[in-house]
Amino acid sequence: MLALEVEGLVKTFLVKRKPEGFKASVRSLLRPEWTEKTAVAGIRLKAEAGETLAFLGPNGAGKSTTIKMLTGILHPSSGHARVLGMVPWKERAALAFRIGAVFGQKSQLWYHLPPADTFELLSRMYELGRADYLRRRDELVERFELGPYMQTPVRKLSLGERMRCEIAAAFLHRPELLFLDEPTIGLDVIVKRRIRELIAERNREEGTTVFLTSHDPSDIEQLCRRAVVIHHGTVIFDAPVERLKREVLTCKTVRLKLRDGARLLEKLPGGVRAAEAGPSAWRLSVDTTTASIEDVLAAFVGHCAIEDMTIEDPPMEDVIRAVYEGKAGGRPAEEGTV
Amino acid sequence: MSTAVSLTGGRGSRIRRAAGIARYVLTCWKLNLAAAMEYRASFFMLAVMMFVNNCIWLVFWAIFFNRFPAVNGWELRDVMLLWGISAGGFGWSSVLFGNYPRIAPIVANGELDVFLTQPKPLLLNVLVSRMSLTAMGDFLFGVAIYALAGEHTLIGAAKYALGLLISGLLFLFVTLAAGSLAFFFGHAEGMAFQLFNGLVALSTYPTDIFKGTARIVLFTVLPAGFISYAPIGLLRRFDGTFVWLAAAAVAAFGLLAVSLFAVGVRRYTSGNRMAMRG
Amino acid sequence: MMTPALAKWHKYRAVGIITVKQQLHYRVDFIVRALFLLLILFIFIHLWRAAYTSSGSETIEGFALNQIIWYLVFAEAVTMACPQLCVRIEEEVKQGEVAVRLIRPIAYNGFHYMTYLAEAGLRFIVQLAAGSAIAWAYMGSPLFGWGWAGLAALLPGAFTVAFLLNLAVALLAFWVEETRGMEFVLQKLNFTVGGMLLPLELMPDWLERVCGWLPFQAVLYFPARMGVAFDGGRLAAFLLTQWGWAAALAVLCAFIYRRGVRKLNVNGG
Repeated sequence: MLALEVEGLVKTFLVKRKPEGFKASVRSLLRPEWTEKTAVAGIRLKAEAGETLAFLGPNGAGKSTTIKMLTGILHPSSGHARVLGMVPWKERAALAFRIGAVFGQKSQLWYHLPPADTFELLSRMYELGRADYLRRRDELVERFELGPYMQTPVRKLSLGERMRCEIAAAFLHRPELLFLDEPTIGLDVIVKRRIRELIAERNREEGTTVFLTSHDPSDIEQLCRRAVVIHHGTVIFDAPVERLKREVLTCKTVRLKLRDGARLLEKLPGGVRAAEAGPSAWRLSVDTTTASIEDVLAAFVGHCAIEDMTIEDPPMEDVIRAVYEGKAGGRPAEEGTV
Repeated sequence: MSTAVSLTGGRGSRIRRAAGIARYVLTCWKLNLAAAMEYRASFFMLAVMMFVNNCIWLVFWAIFFNRFPAVNGWELRDVMLLWGISAGGFGWSSVLFGNYPRIAPIVANGELDVFLTQPKPLLLNVLVSRMSLTAMGDFLFGVAIYALAGEHTLIGAAKYALGLLISGLLFLFVTLAAGSLAFFFGHAEGMAFQLFNGLVALSTYPTDIFKGTARIVLFTVLPAGFISYAPIGLLRRFDGTFVWLAAAAVAAFGLLAVSLFAVGVRRYTSGNRMAMRG
Repeated sequence: MMTPALAKWHKYRAVGIITVKQQLHYRVDFIVRALFLLLILFIFIHLWRAAYTSSGSETIEGFALNQIIWYLVFAEAVTMACPQLCVRIEEEVKQGEVAVRLIRPIAYNGFHYMTYLAEAGLRFIVQLAAGSAIAWAYMGSPLFGWGWAGLAALLPGAFTVAFLLNLAVALLAFWVEETRGMEFVLQKLNFTVGGMLLPLELMPDWLERVCGWLPFQAVLYFPARMGVAFDGGRLAAFLLTQWGWAAALAVLCAFIYRRGVRKLNVNGG
């Protein structure tokens, strides 16, 4: 069964132009100028039920706008979409019972109250039976390890704790399809990892279709099986994450800081290139198609006195560039904007 | 500042400095206005809104005086002029020195830090760095009331201008003094805001409906009386005692406000708020 | 098994309950509003006293001084109880929080109606207590007999009409950036032609007639007037007028909402 079916979805906004300078502002006060901005320019997309799909793109690529159209919040300028068989902007209320959404920067929890109160409200909102609700709540509290936070006012929770509550709350009514818009933004690495695990677990156990947007490639690697990259409002890459990893996310950046006086290896291992060299600080680019990151790290750890080390994914901008440069052979965009 | 200038003549340097400050203040006003223009829709609306608001109060008073032609010697025209002076005075002071009602939160939130690092007189710098848009409507309302109900002679205009000056300065100084309490007490924000609200509200009702203690309060702690009595004591007939007392009140509150602020700044600890939050 | 109607009732009731819970955390705001109410009442007690003394008569248009002051207490308590709906919806649209609302299986307008009623009800009790304290001290006890029942009967309709008037304006936030201006005008209309500062009877006849054709009277004048001078015959008329306006405004709001939600631009795309 298809959870999502999107064809030629377009959304344009009118944006007021704000000119600089005093006189120009006075003039535009009387006669403002409008320009049309295309946020989503004809997206085509399909997703099977039970899939975990990553929706990637830099800021302003049209990710959130797409989610908002698929949840029925925004009406598209043109195009078609079916979500769980329904047209979201026409059957928003009916669809709302069957989907869930978490917006990373917009809380659904009531600020001054403990999460337990919001859970109670949501149980009524989604018209859950009492016994069923209580069982489900306890199950989620246990899985998400929310016990200590359920009775604490939300304003006193840390961002990571709050986010765990937000996501658990979104699963309360057993949505068939869950939209996650930047769910890990602003969180530290460990919390991010934990949240990804929890989402993946729900997907495995309940078959929830997950539609996730992010500009952090590591979100996708750990959570999703399929990646869709959008840029300037169109899909430029759509293939299994494996392929994205193999063909696009082919390098990792390793930053090394050596102890005073320590030297780096005489000869770098195969597949490793020094992007920035210094006596004690190095930035190395590791080609993961030819070298495994574990081996590379083992080589360094075994032979150099290391003070600090970080491993980073390439930024989204590099991913996009790689897609454009044709390294990736995923389904290209219908109408490229290159 | 270069030492050469101060050696050649202290007076010249002082004038130069004053000119520098004046240029700075003018630039602030110009920038505030340009910033207001950025929010073009709000700008006119806010000003018009205040204007309408004041007009609606006049409607109330018109209905009121339709029932009771005179209350303790006050007639509709007096209350109109009272609103003109109160709103007009509040208007010009909040347009030019828009930060004065916000002194307490500025102090409490540690927002003075930015101003403290700038080479311009602190208090003046704080005051001119914001412009109240709604107050533009208040000021224009004051002018419109004068045009409608004021005495259109040279002396009449001068008296009205004096009324605006007194009222604007009183709003400025009393609120500033109340706001400066935030330097000394932890929770002065709410109190300062209440005092400000009380002052504004009380300055729009005829002074003569109050008797006894309430009246004493109006001419001392919350000196709204010096604004609200102006239609009688300044405009209707020039009452020397009232006008001199009003001028003295302005001076006294001015002195109080500036000294409270000056003493307060020495106690200013921008960091304490953060410590409390932790 | 719950019937759909029962589930709906539970849904909206839950919104009301959580609103009251959250509101209880804004104690400082309650006190600030109550203090302002005290100041205004203090001024008006003096103003009306002076006016009655000047006029030399015991009653004006059938209102004794005592009744005029308590009228003001009731009207002000309702006014101060009303939440700032426009600010809230405008912020929701600007900050994009409207997204969090719209993905829920609950009517957007219905959600806000419940939070409005819950908040207004709670605040009304607080404001009434504060206002009563000062009016009682200056004017003596409010022995209005059935008046209190009349007041209570008219309150739900009053808050409903107030909500719908505000909602009609607030929903314009879907089109324009700024709704405060219009909210302001609305508020001022309530102050004057709604009869907040004085009962409609005290207005010039022509204006009283105009006010009779407007919805604003249903918010403040109806409950406050019935509170200080009960009139069984007019109560029915008041109720009918109130809910008639509520129905008409509800249709208008539904219309605006339906058009607005298609135009919606949610920020943060």
